[in-house]
Amino acid sequence: MAEIAFRNVTKRYGATLAVDDASFTVADNEFFCFFGPPLSGKSTILRLILGLEKPDSGEILIDGKAVNAVSPAARNIAMVFQNLALFPHMTAADNVRFPLVERREAPARIEARLRDAAEKLHIGHILHKMPGQLSGGERQRVAIARALVRDPAAYLMDDPISALDARLREETRVELKRIQREAGRTLIYVTHDQEEAMSVADRMAILEHGAIRQIGRPVEIYDHPATTYVARFLGSPVMNILPVQTTGAGFEAAAGALQVAAVAQSGVTEIGLRPEDLRVSHWEGGAGVPATVSEVEPLGGYTVVTLTAGAQPLRAMLRGQPDIRVGALVGLGCDPERVMYFGAGGEALPKSAAPSLGGDRI
Amino acid sequence: MSMIRLEHLVKRFGAFTALKTMDLTIADGEFVALLGPSGCGKSTTMNMIAGMETPSEGRILFGDRDMAGVPMGRRGVGFVFQNYAIFTHMTVRQNLSYGLRATRRPSDEVARRTNAMAELLQLTPMLDRPAHGLSVNILQRVAIGRSAIMEPAIFLLDEPLSNVDAAFRAVMRTELKGLQRSFKQTMVYVTHDQLEAMTMADRIAVMDHGVLQQVGTPLEIYNDPANLFVAKFIGSPGMNLLHGRPTESVGQMAIDLGALGHSLPLAPEQAAAARRAKGDVVFGFRPEQATRVGEGQGMAMPISFVERIGARTILHLGEGAASAKTVFENDAGFEMGRALHFAPHPSAVRLFDAASGAALRGQ
Repeated sequence: MAEIAFRNVTKRYGATLAVDDASFTVADNEFFCFFGPPLSGKSTILRLILGLEKPDSGEILIDGKAVNAVSPAARNIAMVFQNLALFPHMTAADNVRFPLVERREAPARIEARLRDAAEKLHIGHILHKMPGQLSGGERQRVAIARALVRDPAAYLMDDPISALDARLREETRVELKRIQREAGRTLIYVTHDQEEAMSVADRMAILEHGAIRQIGRPVEIYDHPATTYVARFLGSPVMNILPVQTTGAGFEAAAGALQVAAVAQSGVTEIGLRPEDLRVSHWEGGAGVPATVSEVEPLGGYTVVTLTAGAQPLRAMLRGQPDIRVGALVGLGCDPERVMYFGAGGEALPKSAAPSLGGDRI
Repeated sequence: MSMIRLEHLVKRFGAFTALKTMDLTIADGEFVALLGPSGCGKSTTMNMIAGMETPSEGRILFGDRDMAGVPMGRRGVGFVFQNYAIFTHMTVRQNLSYGLRATRRPSDEVARRTNAMAELLQLTPMLDRPAHGLSVNILQRVAIGRSAIMEPAIFLLDEPLSNVDAAFRAVMRTELKGLQRSFKQTMVYVTHDQLEAMTMADRIAVMDHGVLQQVGTPLEIYNDPANLFVAKFIGSPGMNLLHGRPTESVGQMAIDLGALGHSLPLAPEQAAAARRAKGDVVFGFRPEQATRVGEGQGMAMPISFVERIGARTILHLGEGAASAKTVFENDAGFEMGRALHFAPHPSAVRLFDAASGAALRGQ
């Protein structure tokens, strides 16, 4: 059982503001992910939860009790670091047993917990090996098993699978999620990989310069980013964000080359279009906004097309392998429901009444 | 002139064979990616092209010129490593212009080419800043610029983007491609990241365990993998692979997938391949090439996990040997535990020999 919360926590290192007035509550049994660019405060937040750092101000609460003065050991939180820190002179089994041996648990209980963790992580067959004989993925599992046997109130993981190759990461992230569900523990997770964050997290927090910009379910944040920063940070390829002017019939970008038919609304300075929401069709004097193809990147299942409408570059992600060539003139369209609106401060604005589709408009 | 030919290239380190008989011709001005997991031999191949390693057998030719015995410095290749080697006590400008100054180019030419390269790599605002204190992203850009400014006819890059963050990697992919378009070098690019290979390379050479598995354009490799390794390695997620055996009824070929039932009738080319099969086959289809069908049609598998990643939903289906993944663009209320009825489009099906793993072709 562990609910973990920050109340207005700030942490500085000299002149650097590492965590800036952060408040959040991670519910019991939740898989909660911190996602941000390098140096955005992700790892500092973990160190504060563990008790390895003390906040300059604000409160850290575990199950509603302030723990600012509680030692790391007494917080009973297990950490899996990025560099796995397995003992190289011990077998995998001894590494997993280690925290229990340290606590002088009964041998029968140690063996039972070892078996249990080994089964959950599918490492029974490698328990006799030394870390040096294991692959990166196997070492990762051993490190996670070692955290699991401690039976902590919560787990913290700092980019634990970043060392694995892409295919193994795709498998391991699903496995982590399954383990967390089965173990039923609070898991706070840091990653720099947005696919991984969206895949595993029940909820996630997006960080920028130590400040939390948005907290929510991954889908919620993806569909309703609170700011242009969040909008750009989540999603690949990056969301198209275009400066717009309000016109009588909606908005226009790129000096009128791109028109969005919508009920005009005050305060909108930018609009956002996800690449996968753009429709591209062969131009036969047809519908949509005329645009020129400047780059085609076939990825197999998808094709990323870079286009220019007026002077405005845009990226579209199309399903499959459409026959589109560099230099071609295409018609660009978009479901108006999918357009996002932002104000001068980069803040998301609510959508006004359903916009309508016009002729040379998206 | 800057065509690269690898002929029967072998590299052994003691008893370990890092590269087994590689034959590959890279055309003048072509961008070829050597793609594979760690230990596949891609860096070993690159190091031999650069002249850092000597082949155990075989030859490397640049144009018609055999490179045996030609030291690295005389091969006229540019080389960028994963760990950029930047002079941290110098400014960005001094780093970029280093090679030109070392070869005593006139100072106005040095200035002109340095400024042009800085512009191309968006380094102009920081030209006069010292290299130490700059971010990893910027330093890797400087490293690429410092090599590219010499306009080498052959440019070798070994995982140049693996230390930079994801957002910057996307920008750099576009820039590297732009760099190659403007200088038209022959580019050999080592990576384990299929996205980098797919988006930049004219052709990809997929390697595994020291063996060249397939060479082709990104779409050739995606659409028609030569064997099971390539099928699994390329794609995100990789190709679904189910064991089965060819079966024919009333003139129509299909694959008997055991407990999963029969596949839909095969398209003509795959039917011809199935007829030619000796014994069991592997039935392959890409996760994004399956569509939902009504109950009783196609295959049914229980949904074991739902991953929603932005606009995509990856469904993990079944378990063990009877498992697959499908990708949909929307989350149409998929529930774990419920059965998904789906079928790959017949033209998207690929067959492989179950024993050898090699692709079965119609003709």
